[in-house]
Amino acid sequence: MGYEPLVKKNPLRVLNLAGNDKKMGLIMARAGLGKTALLVQIALDSILRGKRVVHISIGENLEKTKLWYDDMLEIILQECSVAKPHELIDMVQQHRMIMSFKESAFNRARLEERLNDLILQDIFKPDCVVIDGFDFTNMDHEDLEDINNLMESLRLQTWFSATSHREDERVSPSGVPAPCHELDDLFETVVLLKSEQEHVQLEIIRHNSDACSGDVHHLILDPATMMVKKDD
Amino acid sequence: MNKDLDKVRNIGISAHIDSGKTTLTERILYYTQRIHAIHEVRGKDGVGATMDSMELEKERGITIQSAATYCSWKDIDVNIIDTPGHVDFTVEVERALRVLDGAVLILCSVGGVQSQSITVDRQMTRYNVPRIAFINKCDRTGANPERVVKQLREKLNLNAVMIQLPIGLESDLEGMVDLVTMKAIYFDGDQGNEIRYEEIPDNLKDDAEEKREELLDAVSMFSEELMEAMLEEEEIPVELIQAAIRKGTLDLELAPVMIGSAYKNKGVQPLLDAVEMYLPCPTDVVNTALDLDNDEAEMTVSNNPDDPLVALAFKLEDGRYGQLTYVRTYQGTLKKGETIFNTRTGKKVKVGRLVRMHSNEMEEIEEAGSGDIVGLFGVDCASGDTFCDSKVNWSMSSMHVPAPVISLAITPVDNKAQDNMSKALNRFSKEDPTFKTFVDHETNETIISGMGELHLEVYIERMKREYKAEVEVGAPRVAYREAITQHADFNYTHKKQTGGSGQFGRVGGHMEPLEEEEYEFVDQIVGGVIPREYIPSCDKGFQASMEKGMLIGAPITGVRCLINDGSYHAVDSSDMAFQQAAKGAFKEGYKKAGPVIMEPIMKVSVEGPSEFQGSIMGSLNQRRGMIVGTSEEGSYTVVEADMPLSEMFGYSTTLRSLTQGKAEFTMEFSTYKQVPKSVSEELIKEYENSRKNG
Repeated sequence: MGYEPLVKKNPLRVLNLAGNDKKMGLIMARAGLGKTALLVQIALDSILRGKRVVHISIGENLEKTKLWYDDMLEIILQECSVAKPHELIDMVQQHRMIMSFKESAFNRARLEERLNDLILQDIFKPDCVVIDGFDFTNMDHEDLEDINNLMESLRLQTWFSATSHREDERVSPSGVPAPCHELDDLFETVVLLKSEQEHVQLEIIRHNSDACSGDVHHLILDPATMMVKKDD
Repeated sequence: MNKDLDKVRNIGISAHIDSGKTTLTERILYYTQRIHAIHEVRGKDGVGATMDSMELEKERGITIQSAATYCSWKDIDVNIIDTPGHVDFTVEVERALRVLDGAVLILCSVGGVQSQSITVDRQMTRYNVPRIAFINKCDRTGANPERVVKQLREKLNLNAVMIQLPIGLESDLEGMVDLVTMKAIYFDGDQGNEIRYEEIPDNLKDDAEEKREELLDAVSMFSEELMEAMLEEEEIPVELIQAAIRKGTLDLELAPVMIGSAYKNKGVQPLLDAVEMYLPCPTDVVNTALDLDNDEAEMTVSNNPDDPLVALAFKLEDGRYGQLTYVRTYQGTLKKGETIFNTRTGKKVKVGRLVRMHSNEMEEIEEAGSGDIVGLFGVDCASGDTFCDSKVNWSMSSMHVPAPVISLAITPVDNKAQDNMSKALNRFSKEDPTFKTFVDHETNETIISGMGELHLEVYIERMKREYKAEVEVGAPRVAYREAITQHADFNYTHKKQTGGSGQFGRVGGHMEPLEEEEYEFVDQIVGGVIPREYIPSCDKGFQASMEKGMLIGAPITGVRCLINDGSYHAVDSSDMAFQQAAKGAFKEGYKKAGPVIMEPIMKVSVEGPSEFQGSIMGSLNQRRGMIVGTSEEGSYTVVEADMPLSEMFGYSTTLRSLTQGKAEFTMEFSTYKQVPKSVSEELIKEYENSRKNG
């Protein structure tokens, strides 16, 4: 592929994204802190490793989601020198598919149907699915287990984003806030985004500790670019 | 003609096909008393709508050419450009947008924002055209203006705000509430020409109050006075709100949304009022020209009728009395009998007849002030030319013209058709810069090329009807290109020194791929190894080589040719010899430069019921498409994909049978991309076979 240097440079590698295939990950934060930005970076990391990603965007339109990728990719290209930027842009487009859904149009059955459409017709065979804007408020443990089983059977790594709310103070023993406080055991990795004075801190509550390499703390989102970087 | 420029509005009406644009224009002409009866687009009276003056348009019920029409509403002069809705004719839309100051974006209350609306809106953004949205067809079953407003926000990123509220919907549509004046408006009389203002019906009062709050919140940021009045909870003067809406609209930060049903004669007059109140007059818009005498420096046109004339020819039509040229004046005054000159050709012409157009009827006038749109007769020019008087030499900046992507061969059936065909082709290529025609010297066939299948079909129809030129039509062909992918050196000697006058020239240097541009010639010859006078010969030789590539005979694009070495002979070197040497050098380099075939990729958007999403994606995938994404809204899905044009022939039939006719698609040119290896081999084989046989 020739993009290994980019992958290695990515501070997200401490999460060992390549190691935890077929498991679910969760990013939680209050509104507006950068969940989508982080999900897009996780997706781009997979793509640069030659994987295919389906990006499911709930309640956000296709054009806006595409813009996230364009912007993030532009920043990567500005920061790292790539011999043929056009090839990289093409490669990202070919390894990514965006599906946007209106809130009311998305459910487990629809997800299964759409993924099967892609896989059975050989249109697009994803390795990873990121689901942005999923509503966990009405989801019980069994429902999510069901989704987990579906994704496992399709051999897909899955990342969710969820919004926590200031007024809901419920929290799981391991520190996962509502509405996911009763579901946290289903996720192998949980990342909380917390607003600090000048940046957004990534607090990694749970991760695949055996495979995890390096220092998992001291990661922040750069407020200017929304890119993950090490807090020096 | 009104001299006061703030009483002039040059507006366009553009929309998705079948959203009722022509019907609305027809109603506007009726209410402004330009016409005295209303004809429906596909009416039983066989007259057809006034704006669709071409026979073909009447038959298909679509508008092909943008006809300019003048009317006056209250004390305002309005020039309306009726723009085509089909994507194949976007150059017409673009040209119209170039001369407009504002636009009305029509949307269907049932269909909402469809892909074509997105294309048109993108073009409006490109030309900074402020717009009002009009949600038409509110009398239809399934009408849902609020959903359309939401789509305007989500899909077009417009800050869309309703300034009216419907009174009843679908078959119960009675009128509307004006949220600015807080009055109910009803339309009485057979043709809705009597307007009745009433108090807001009780059942709508709360709703209207709520919507008005939303409106005020949205527009308050454009007026500090309004913001203050709101904070102090004073009674807010109507003028203050109108001024704020106008400011927001002109700044392109607000899109006021109106509703109605042109077919049922509801909501058209308030729309005309809004055109007056919220859309810009010529002096509100900054237009620039390029000063040809000053290295194309950008100049702002003044709009002053006393300044030197600058006028743009934006549309040509072949009328009963010869060529009719639509022009817009940007400054100065265009007078009958005066001499003006075309800054592209430098030719002087006399203004013979000056007319104001009303679709295909016209009214003679003596002069046209700045900001006006009028027709000129007997002026030979091409679309996009600028006219000035002798005081300035300016050109209005060039318009964005996309390259044609599809071509087909046409053969006249007899000699008479042959003559007529060349007349027609000459006319069409002058009228439409995206329509090109040439003769293929190898096959001796006449080739026409354009922006899509329908685009070419319409011209073939027009040839038959207007010029009586029957032609046989070949299969459509994609306009492939060739390009190089790597640096390659060349060093070629052209030598012919046996008998007679000899030829000698040697050219050395390299070629490399060039992004964005088509061709660049770099001269780095030092020490006179190639004499100065033969440098242009080398350039010419390279350019000639670019016309036909060696893989499939397609034009080559994106090459930089650099020469830094060579030699000459005192007697035998000539212009011809160096041209030949450059051709040989190009050929030598091209083979080593990794030549590839490029094909046009179209941005395709398929809309249909969600149940068919899987099969729609499957059908696109089978055609070498790259699916960009899908968006699903309840039972309705849009699939977006980048598709090779060559795979899209006949797709409408496939799509129809896959989805029981419930899905539709639109496409527009996106970019050129390298064809995959297997296809490339196929194309090369085909080309070689045709050369052997032909």
